[in-house]
Amino acid sequence: MRKLTDVGVAIVAGCCALISVGLLVGLVAVIAARGAPALSWSFFTGQIRLVGAAGGIFWNLVGTLILLVTACAACTPLAVGIALLERVWLTGERRRSWLRTALYAMNGLPSVLFGLFGFILFVQWLGWGKSWLAGGLVLALSMLPTVTLALIERLRAIPARYVEAAAAAGLNRAQIVWAVLLPQARGGLITGTLLGLARAAGETAPIMFTATIFAGATFPTAIRDSPVLSLPYHIFILAQDSFDPAVGTRLWGAALVLLGLVFSLSLLALPGRLKQHEEAHG
Amino acid sequence: MTRALSWFLSLLALGALGLMLGIFTWQSGPVWQAEGIGYLTGGRWFFRQHQFGALPMIYGSVVVSLVALFLAAPIGLGAAVFTAEYLPPRARMPVKTLIELLAGIPSVVYGLLGILLLRDWVYERFARFDPLSGDTLLTAGVLLAVMILPTIVTLGDDALRAVPAAQRRAARALGLLRAESILHVVLPQARRGLGAALLLATGRALGETVAVFLVVGRQDNNLPSPWYSLRPLLESGQMLTTKLGGAETHIAWSDPVHWAAIVGLGLILLALTGALALFGAAFGRRSDA
Amino acid sequence: MRSSIWLLALFAAPLLAGAETLRINGSTTVNLPVAEAAEILRAEQKLDIQVDTQGGSAGGISMLGDGLVQIGMASKHVSDDDRAKYPAVRFHKIQIGEDAVALIVSRDVWEGGVKAVTRQQMKDIYEGRITNWEALGGKPQRIAFFNKEPGRGTWEVFVHWLYGNAKAAPQVNFPEVGGNEETRNKVASTRGALSQLSASWADGQKVFALGLKLDAGTVIEPTNANIATRKYPLSRPLFLLTRGEPEGIAKIFVDFILGERGQELVRKHGYLRLKDLK
Repeated sequence: MRKLTDVGVAIVAGCCALISVGLLVGLVAVIAARGAPALSWSFFTGQIRLVGAAGGIFWNLVGTLILLVTACAACTPLAVGIALLERVWLTGERRRSWLRTALYAMNGLPSVLFGLFGFILFVQWLGWGKSWLAGGLVLALSMLPTVTLALIERLRAIPARYVEAAAAAGLNRAQIVWAVLLPQARGGLITGTLLGLARAAGETAPIMFTATIFAGATFPTAIRDSPVLSLPYHIFILAQDSFDPAVGTRLWGAALVLLGLVFSLSLLALPGRLKQHEEAHG
Repeated sequence: MTRALSWFLSLLALGALGLMLGIFTWQSGPVWQAEGIGYLTGGRWFFRQHQFGALPMIYGSVVVSLVALFLAAPIGLGAAVFTAEYLPPRARMPVKTLIELLAGIPSVVYGLLGILLLRDWVYERFARFDPLSGDTLLTAGVLLAVMILPTIVTLGDDALRAVPAAQRRAARALGLLRAESILHVVLPQARRGLGAALLLATGRALGETVAVFLVVGRQDNNLPSPWYSLRPLLESGQMLTTKLGGAETHIAWSDPVHWAAIVGLGLILLALTGALALFGAAFGRRSDA
Repeated sequence: MRSSIWLLALFAAPLLAGAETLRINGSTTVNLPVAEAAEILRAEQKLDIQVDTQGGSAGGISMLGDGLVQIGMASKHVSDDDRAKYPAVRFHKIQIGEDAVALIVSRDVWEGGVKAVTRQQMKDIYEGRITNWEALGGKPQRIAFFNKEPGRGTWEVFVHWLYGNAKAAPQVNFPEVGGNEETRNKVASTRGALSQLSASWADGQKVFALGLKLDAGTVIEPTNANIATRKYPLSRPLFLLTRGEPEGIAKIFVDFILGERGQELVRKHGYLRLKDLK
């Protein structure tokens, strides 16, 4: 009887794992199968034509890239600032805990809320209209908790003796930050940023209120009224509003490219995470 | 200097968060004035007549998330048990990486898959209940279940691994078989972490916008009668997020009460997801024994 | 070195195109010829034109009123309410063609015998008094009515026909559909489905357009002839809206659409050209 339970649990757990992995791998396979025929050199370098029925997604990729670079540039200093505050400057565990709680809460907020916030603040109040900068800032906000928490983890993992050695050598706290903490935490920052970017790349809701349109935008030349195209929004609109069956394959091709982008960003973060894992459990 | 910089940047970031909260609260003022508590409990949303009751959308969001949790939790936890307890150490990293990758599939892609694969399946399977179409709350729930599945597996795996290996060794030393050690030693100890994992996954489900937008039907005022009826699951419905992502947000700006009602939905969503995230974090952390 | 030239080119391209950007937003119906015209002008005259379809006709009007775009696309008239919301704006209407709203049904309804509907029957369906196709002579099947999103030109034309104006329309609870493609797909894949759709999209293969049965018993189908002579009551003009007379790049665009090639695009997408109207 006991043996039966033992085998039973193993089988059930194994089946669950199989279902989970199989389901998700299967979905990726469907996207790949339907989207692969659309991939070609001209798909990546051409622009949208005929409302998506022809042409390529070049400017959508450029737009997504612009948004991600902006988000990264805006998010990094903020994340470093908060992480340092939590690890170095704040005194008292209660305050640190409070800060971490705020971050956890922010981490759970859906991205559509940031989009709504950006719409009110940037598009309407500041009068920017649709702007790539608004989109980048909104994405930075939604990425912030992910990156900050990853960075705090990394800072925590720095062996205390490094800090002690530096202190013994006469460095004050600020100097320790620049000489020891930041260089050591660089890997964690990169990893956290890549993970945050992977998530941000696929987001539609925050940018559809603030930064993106469906057709016509190329490279923005100002801040106000300078929208960009983007991959996720392109897919979202075409899923509802294409007019030509020819759109079908291209739509899946765009989805495949987006998937590829997100996976690449996640995989780039992998070596960093493996190293961290090793250091923690090695 | 460094210290001042850190403080400045932190206050900037947290200030943005506070500003968001403030703006949402302030801008939704008119609808609280107009409807009072009826905003939350009212079952009718007719924006042209300035009647704003958010209950059907709260119901939609909650019921869809519960369906997703109900479907994904058993499978996800089972998979987590497998990866944490049965996988040999060398296979763990690749499998875990794979699952985390899959957790990153963008929601708009899920939405595409939902339109393509899921709608018709739900429509045909449940045909004898005569649903209106394939766009139902149930469809959204099933789609969300697939979306939160990798999250539950990953977080569940973390929670189980947090139980020290010494516990498992002690169990074996006492003669327990592996399944018994899992069921009677590891799982009870990981209870908190697993609970946190589920809470966080639910939070993610509640906040999902784009994927469900495409398959939920976007029909207002779909409330069950009597209250325990499951009928609305097979009808098209509306969630907090799908209303926010829909057409009304684009046309409401010039009407103060309508706009307040829309922002109010954002506020409700913020409260719900924020609370879930906080509970999840609190729950999880207490298990760091 | 090469990469910086590339970067320079990316920066320079929009600058070379001319300082002004033309922004257009609005109805998905009008979008079809407009988007293609924009592509042609972008390619041939290097004009910078951005087109979007946020919020349908209502979105086009409100973004024009808010000054976010120079041209709004609308498949319905600017109402008094719209004018009241933007008292400082002089909405200038330029008709570029004509379209009709068809009541489309799925294949099973069409083949079940329902090929026309009266105004009263449509009203009863909209208000929930008729819920099964039996009442209209078809096979017993639940009516799956997909309502167009509020603000869509198609919806406004529809309620205008039923109730005289949008304000008199009762608030109803039906699943919503947004753009034309979504509508057609959902109707085609659902049994007993009914919705409002631009007549040019009713291809007679995936979805079928009902005729309108007048009191006298005659059935008017949404054919081009009936739309051109306004016999079919659900026809609606396709507009480009501007604030006052169009100037500069907006004028170039409007002139193109009203010209031979632009009107050909209108016809290509299934709508009636200005010269087709009687």
